[in-house]
Amino acid sequence: MSDFLASVERRAFKQAVFSVQEQESALDIVQDAMLRLAEKYADRPAAELPLLFQRILQNAIRDHFRRSKVRSTWTMLLTSMGLGGEDDDADPLETLEIESTSAIPASPQSQLEQSQVMEAIEDALKGLPARQREAFVLRYWEELDVSETAKVMGCSEGSVKTHCSRATHALAKVLKAKGITL
Amino acid sequence: MNEKEFAGKLKPWLERGAASVGEMQAVRLKAARLRAMDAYREPVRLFGLVSMSASTAQAIHYGIVQRALLFVPLLALLAVLAVQSLGVDADLGELDAQLLTQELPPDAFLDQEFRSWLGKSQG
Repeated sequence: MSDFLASVERRAFKQAVFSVQEQESALDIVQDAMLRLAEKYADRPAAELPLLFQRILQNAIRDHFRRSKVRSTWTMLLTSMGLGGEDDDADPLETLEIESTSAIPASPQSQLEQSQVMEAIEDALKGLPARQREAFVLRYWEELDVSETAKVMGCSEGSVKTHCSRATHALAKVLKAKGITL
Repeated sequence: MNEKEFAGKLKPWLERGAASVGEMQAVRLKAARLRAMDAYREPVRLFGLVSMSASTAQAIHYGIVQRALLFVPLLALLAVLAVQSLGVDADLGELDAQLLTQELPPDAFLDQEFRSWLGKSQG
Protein backbone atom coordinates (compact mmCIF):
# COMPACT_ATOMS: atom_id res chain seq x y z
CA MET A 1 0.00 0.00 0.00
CA SER A 2 2.76 2.42 0.96
CA ASP A 3 4.64 1.80 -2.30
CA PHE A 4 1.47 2.27 -4.30
CA LEU A 5 0.68 5.56 -2.59
CA ALA A 6 4.27 6.76 -3.04
CA SER A 7 4.05 5.97 -6.74
CA VAL A 8 0.84 7.92 -7.33
CA GLU A 9 0.93 10.79 -4.85
CA ARG A 10 2.63 13.35 -7.10
CA ARG A 11 0.52 12.57 -10.14
CA ALA A 12 -2.57 12.70 -7.97
CA PHE A 13 -1.47 16.07 -6.63
CA LYS A 14 -0.97 17.40 -10.14
CA GLN A 15 -4.36 16.08 -11.23
CA ALA A 16 -5.97 17.82 -8.28
CA VAL A 17 -4.10 21.04 -9.07
CA PHE A 18 -5.28 20.94 -12.69
CA SER A 19 -8.83 20.53 -11.46
CA VAL A 20 -9.07 22.86 -8.48
CA GLN A 21 -6.24 25.20 -9.59
CA GLU A 22 -5.09 25.71 -6.04
CA GLN A 23 -2.27 23.88 -4.30
CA GLU A 24 -3.57 23.90 -0.72
CA SER A 25 -6.90 22.39 -1.67
CA ALA A 26 -5.16 19.93 -3.97
CA LEU A 27 -2.99 18.71 -1.08
CA ASP A 28 -6.06 18.30 1.11
CA ILE A 29 -7.83 16.35 -1.61
CA VAL A 30 -4.91 13.97 -2.15
CA GLN A 31 -4.50 13.46 1.60
CA ASP A 32 -8.19 12.72 1.93
CA ALA A 33 -8.11 10.26 -0.97
CA MET A 34 -5.06 8.41 0.39
CA LEU A 35 -6.63 8.18 3.84
CA ARG A 36 -9.89 6.82 2.46
CA LEU A 37 -8.11 4.22 0.38
CA ALA A 38 -6.00 3.03 3.31
CA GLU A 39 -8.91 2.96 5.73
CA LYS A 40 -11.58 1.35 3.60
CA TYR A 41 -9.89 -0.70 0.93
CA ALA A 42 -6.98 -2.35 2.72
CA ASP A 43 -8.37 -5.79 1.88
CA ARG A 44 -8.44 -5.21 -1.88
CA PRO A 45 -5.83 -6.83 -4.11
CA ALA A 46 -2.99 -4.58 -5.26
CA ALA A 47 -4.19 -4.77 -8.88
CA GLU A 48 -7.44 -3.02 -7.97
CA LEU A 49 -5.80 -0.14 -6.14
CA PRO A 50 -5.10 2.19 -9.10
CA LEU A 51 -8.73 2.17 -10.25
CA LEU A 52 -10.07 2.48 -6.71
CA PHE A 53 -7.71 5.33 -5.94
CA GLN A 54 -8.73 7.19 -9.10
CA ARG A 55 -12.40 6.80 -8.19
CA ILE A 56 -11.79 8.12 -4.70
CA LEU A 57 -9.64 10.98 -6.00
CA GLN A 58 -12.18 12.07 -8.60
CA ASN A 59 -14.97 11.89 -6.01
CA ALA A 60 -12.89 13.98 -3.62
CA ILE A 61 -12.39 16.59 -6.36
CA ARG A 62 -16.15 16.66 -7.03
CA ASP A 63 -16.83 17.01 -3.30
CA HIS A 64 -14.44 19.94 -3.23
CA PHE A 65 -16.38 21.68 -5.97
CA ARG A 66 -19.68 21.03 -4.20
CA ARG A 67 -18.33 22.58 -1.01
CA SER A 68 -16.72 25.51 -2.81
CA LYS A 69 -20.05 26.36 -4.46
CA VAL A 70 -21.36 27.37 -1.07
CA ARG A 71 -18.13 29.17 -0.22
CA SER A 72 -18.06 31.07 -3.54
CA THR A 73 -21.41 32.64 -2.77
CA TRP A 74 -19.85 34.33 0.23
CA THR A 75 -16.67 35.20 -1.66
CA MET A 76 -18.69 36.92 -4.38
CA LEU A 77 -20.60 38.81 -1.76
CA LEU A 78 -17.40 39.99 -0.07
CA THR A 79 -15.80 40.89 -3.42
CA SER A 80 -18.78 42.99 -4.35
CA MET A 81 -18.35 44.78 -1.04
CA GLY A 82 -14.70 45.53 -1.88
CA LEU A 83 -13.14 42.90 0.40
CA GLY A 84 -11.76 40.63 -2.35
CA GLY A 85 -9.23 37.84 -1.84
CA GLU A 86 -5.51 37.80 -2.58
CA ASP A 87 -3.94 37.94 -6.01
CA ASP A 88 -3.17 34.34 -6.96
CA ASP A 89 -1.13 34.94 -10.10
CA ALA A 90 1.51 32.26 -10.48
CA ASP A 91 5.11 33.43 -10.44
CA PRO A 92 7.04 31.91 -13.36
CA LEU A 93 10.25 32.12 -11.34
CA GLU A 94 8.78 29.65 -8.87
CA THR A 95 8.50 27.06 -11.61
CA LEU A 96 12.08 27.66 -12.62
CA GLU A 97 13.24 27.17 -9.04
CA ILE A 98 11.33 23.90 -8.71
CA GLU A 99 12.65 22.67 -12.02
CA SER A 100 16.23 23.30 -11.02
CA THR A 101 15.98 21.05 -7.95
CA SER A 102 15.10 17.88 -9.81
CA ALA A 103 15.85 18.03 -13.50
CA ILE A 104 19.14 17.12 -15.06
CA PRO A 105 21.11 20.35 -15.30
CA ALA A 106 20.90 21.77 -18.76
CA SER A 107 21.77 25.13 -20.15
CA PRO A 108 19.75 27.96 -18.62
CA GLN A 109 18.30 28.63 -22.06
CA SER A 110 17.01 25.07 -22.52
CA GLN A 111 15.82 24.91 -18.90
CA LEU A 112 13.80 28.03 -19.50
CA GLU A 113 12.36 26.65 -22.72
CA GLN A 114 11.45 23.33 -21.08
CA SER A 115 9.76 24.98 -18.15
CA GLN A 116 7.84 27.23 -20.54
CA VAL A 117 6.64 24.24 -22.55
CA MET A 118 5.67 22.40 -19.37
CA GLU A 119 3.83 25.42 -18.08
CA ALA A 120 2.04 25.89 -21.39
CA ILE A 121 0.92 22.26 -21.42
CA GLU A 122 -0.28 22.43 -17.82
CA ASP A 123 -2.09 25.70 -18.50
CA ALA A 124 -3.75 24.20 -21.55
CA LEU A 125 -4.90 21.25 -19.44
CA LYS A 126 -6.21 23.56 -16.73
CA GLY A 127 -8.14 25.44 -19.39
CA LEU A 128 -10.05 22.37 -20.56
CA PRO A 129 -13.62 21.74 -19.42
CA ALA A 130 -13.56 19.55 -16.29
CA ARG A 131 -14.96 16.39 -17.88
CA GLN A 132 -12.64 16.59 -20.88
CA ARG A 133 -9.63 17.07 -18.62
CA GLU A 134 -10.72 14.21 -16.37
CA ALA A 135 -11.14 11.88 -19.33
CA PHE A 136 -7.85 12.88 -20.91
CA VAL A 137 -5.83 12.53 -17.69
CA LEU A 138 -7.35 9.20 -16.73
CA ARG A 139 -7.08 7.73 -20.19
CA TYR A 140 -3.69 8.98 -21.34
CA TRP A 141 -1.78 9.85 -18.18
CA GLU A 142 -3.08 7.23 -15.78
CA GLU A 143 -3.39 4.84 -18.73
CA LEU A 144 -6.74 3.43 -17.73
CA ASP A 145 -8.64 1.77 -20.56
CA VAL A 146 -11.90 3.18 -21.88
CA SER A 147 -14.17 1.04 -19.68
CA GLU A 148 -12.14 1.78 -16.53
CA THR A 149 -12.20 5.49 -17.32
CA ALA A 150 -15.96 5.28 -17.82
CA LYS A 151 -16.35 3.58 -14.43
CA VAL A 152 -14.28 6.23 -12.66
CA MET A 153 -16.15 9.05 -14.39
CA GLY A 154 -19.55 7.43 -13.99
CA CYS A 155 -20.44 7.77 -17.68
CA SER A 156 -20.64 5.66 -20.82
CA GLU A 157 -17.64 4.50 -22.83
CA GLY A 158 -18.88 6.56 -25.75
CA SER A 159 -18.78 9.70 -23.62
CA VAL A 160 -15.23 8.93 -22.58
CA LYS A 161 -14.16 8.64 -26.22
CA THR A 162 -15.91 11.89 -27.09
CA HIS A 163 -14.36 13.75 -24.13
CA CYS A 164 -10.91 12.40 -24.96
CA SER A 165 -11.19 13.35 -28.60
CA ARG A 166 -12.38 16.85 -27.82
CA ALA A 167 -9.71 17.30 -25.15
CA THR A 168 -6.94 16.21 -27.52
CA HIS A 169 -8.09 18.52 -30.28
CA ALA A 170 -8.47 21.43 -27.88
CA LEU A 171 -4.98 20.86 -26.44
CA ALA A 172 -3.45 20.59 -29.89
CA LYS A 173 -5.13 23.82 -30.92
CA VAL A 174 -3.97 25.74 -27.83
CA LEU A 175 -0.39 24.48 -28.08
CA LYS A 176 -0.23 25.23 -31.79
CA ALA A 177 -1.45 28.75 -31.13
CA LYS A 178 1.40 29.17 -28.64
CA GLY A 179 3.88 27.89 -31.21
CA ILE A 180 4.72 24.73 -29.27
CA THR A 181 5.63 21.67 -31.27
CA LEU A 182 6.01 18.38 -29.43
CA MET B 1 -0.62 12.68 -35.68
CA ASN B 2 -3.48 10.73 -34.16
CA GLU B 3 -5.02 11.14 -30.70
CA LYS B 4 -2.89 8.47 -29.00
CA GLU B 5 0.36 9.68 -30.51
CA PHE B 6 -0.34 13.22 -29.46
CA ALA B 7 -1.25 12.14 -25.92
CA GLY B 8 1.85 9.95 -25.84
CA LYS B 9 3.98 13.01 -26.56
CA LEU B 10 2.30 15.01 -23.82
CA LYS B 11 2.72 12.31 -21.19
CA PRO B 12 6.47 12.78 -20.57
CA TRP B 13 5.86 16.48 -20.01
CA LEU B 14 3.13 15.71 -17.51
CA GLU B 15 5.40 13.19 -15.76
CA ARG B 16 8.13 15.77 -15.62
CA GLY B 17 5.73 18.28 -14.12
CA ALA B 18 4.67 15.76 -11.48
CA ALA B 19 8.26 14.87 -10.66
CA SER B 20 9.17 18.50 -10.16
CA VAL B 21 6.61 19.51 -7.57
CA GLY B 22 8.03 21.86 -4.97
CA GLU B 23 9.96 20.48 -2.02
CA MET B 24 7.36 21.71 0.42
CA GLN B 25 4.58 19.95 -1.50
CA ALA B 26 6.63 16.76 -1.67
CA VAL B 27 7.14 16.82 2.11
CA ARG B 28 3.45 17.40 2.70
CA LEU B 29 2.50 14.61 0.32
CA LYS B 30 4.84 12.26 2.16
CA ALA B 31 3.30 13.32 5.48
CA ALA B 32 -0.16 12.67 4.06
CA ARG B 33 0.96 9.22 2.91
CA LEU B 34 2.38 8.38 6.33
CA ARG B 35 -0.85 9.51 7.93
CA ALA B 36 -2.80 7.27 5.59
CA MET B 37 -0.50 4.38 6.45
CA ASP B 38 -1.21 4.97 10.14
CA ALA B 39 -4.86 4.27 9.37
CA TYR B 40 -3.97 1.26 7.25
CA ARG B 41 -4.06 -2.19 8.81
CA GLU B 42 -3.09 -5.42 7.14
CA PRO B 43 -6.16 -7.34 5.91
CA VAL B 44 -7.22 -10.30 8.08
CA ARG B 45 -8.92 -13.58 7.14
CA LEU B 46 -12.14 -14.32 8.99
CA PHE B 47 -12.24 -18.02 9.96
CA GLY B 48 -9.44 -18.51 7.44
CA LEU B 49 -11.91 -18.02 4.60
CA VAL B 50 -12.99 -14.48 3.93
CA SER B 51 -10.41 -11.74 3.51
CA MET B 52 -11.41 -8.39 4.93
CA SER B 53 -9.83 -5.23 6.23
CA ALA B 54 -8.83 -5.26 9.88
CA SER B 55 -11.15 -2.34 10.58
CA THR B 56 -14.13 -4.26 9.12
CA ALA B 57 -13.24 -7.35 11.16
CA GLN B 58 -12.92 -5.21 14.25
CA ALA B 59 -16.29 -3.57 13.54
CA ILE B 60 -17.95 -6.99 13.16
CA HIS B 61 -16.31 -8.29 16.32
CA TYR B 62 -17.36 -5.17 18.18
CA GLY B 63 -20.92 -5.49 16.83
CA ILE B 64 -21.22 -9.10 18.03
CA VAL B 65 -19.87 -8.25 21.48
CA GLN B 66 -22.16 -5.25 21.70
CA ARG B 67 -25.26 -7.29 20.80
CA ALA B 68 -24.27 -10.03 23.22
CA LEU B 69 -23.95 -7.45 25.96
CA LEU B 70 -27.50 -6.28 25.26
CA PHE B 71 -28.80 -9.76 26.13
CA VAL B 72 -26.86 -10.06 29.38
CA PRO B 73 -29.42 -8.26 31.62
CA LEU B 74 -32.27 -10.30 30.08
CA LEU B 75 -30.43 -13.57 30.65
CA ALA B 76 -29.59 -12.55 34.19
CA LEU B 77 -33.26 -11.79 34.90
CA LEU B 78 -34.37 -15.14 33.50
CA ALA B 79 -31.74 -16.92 35.58
CA VAL B 80 -32.87 -15.20 38.77
CA LEU B 81 -36.52 -16.08 38.08
CA ALA B 82 -35.63 -19.71 37.41
CA VAL B 83 -33.64 -19.98 40.60
CA GLN B 84 -36.43 -18.35 42.56
CA SER B 85 -39.11 -20.67 41.19
CA LEU B 86 -37.00 -23.74 42.05
CA GLY B 87 -36.32 -22.26 45.48
CA VAL B 88 -40.06 -21.90 46.28
CA ASP B 89 -40.72 -25.59 45.51
CA ALA B 90 -37.83 -26.66 47.65
CA ASP B 91 -38.98 -24.44 50.51
CA LEU B 92 -42.54 -25.84 50.43
CA GLY B 93 -41.31 -29.44 50.43
CA GLU B 94 -38.96 -28.72 53.27
CA LEU B 95 -41.74 -27.11 55.28
CA ASP B 96 -44.04 -30.08 54.78
CA ALA B 97 -41.32 -32.49 55.79
CA GLN B 98 -40.55 -30.48 58.90
CA LEU B 99 -44.23 -30.27 59.82
CA LEU B 100 -44.77 -33.98 59.50
CA THR B 101 -41.60 -35.24 61.11
CA GLN B 102 -39.21 -34.29 63.78
CA GLU B 103 -39.76 -30.59 63.61
CA LEU B 104 -43.29 -30.96 65.01
CA PRO B 105 -43.25 -30.08 68.70
CA PRO B 106 -44.17 -33.01 71.01
CA ASP B 107 -46.96 -30.92 72.54
CA ALA B 108 -48.77 -31.05 69.25
CA PHE B 109 -49.39 -34.76 69.71
CA LEU B 110 -50.96 -34.01 73.10
CA ASP B 111 -53.52 -31.83 71.40
CA GLN B 112 -56.68 -33.87 70.92
CA GLU B 113 -57.98 -31.89 67.99
CA PHE B 114 -54.72 -32.20 66.11
CA ARG B 115 -54.57 -35.94 66.73
CA SER B 116 -58.12 -36.41 65.48
CA TRP B 117 -57.36 -34.30 62.37
CA LEU B 118 -54.20 -36.34 61.79
CA GLY B 119 -56.18 -39.55 62.12
CA LYS B 120 -58.78 -38.33 59.65
CA SER B 121 -56.22 -37.17 57.09
CA GLN B 122 -54.32 -40.52 57.31
CA GLY B 123 -57.54 -42.50 57.11
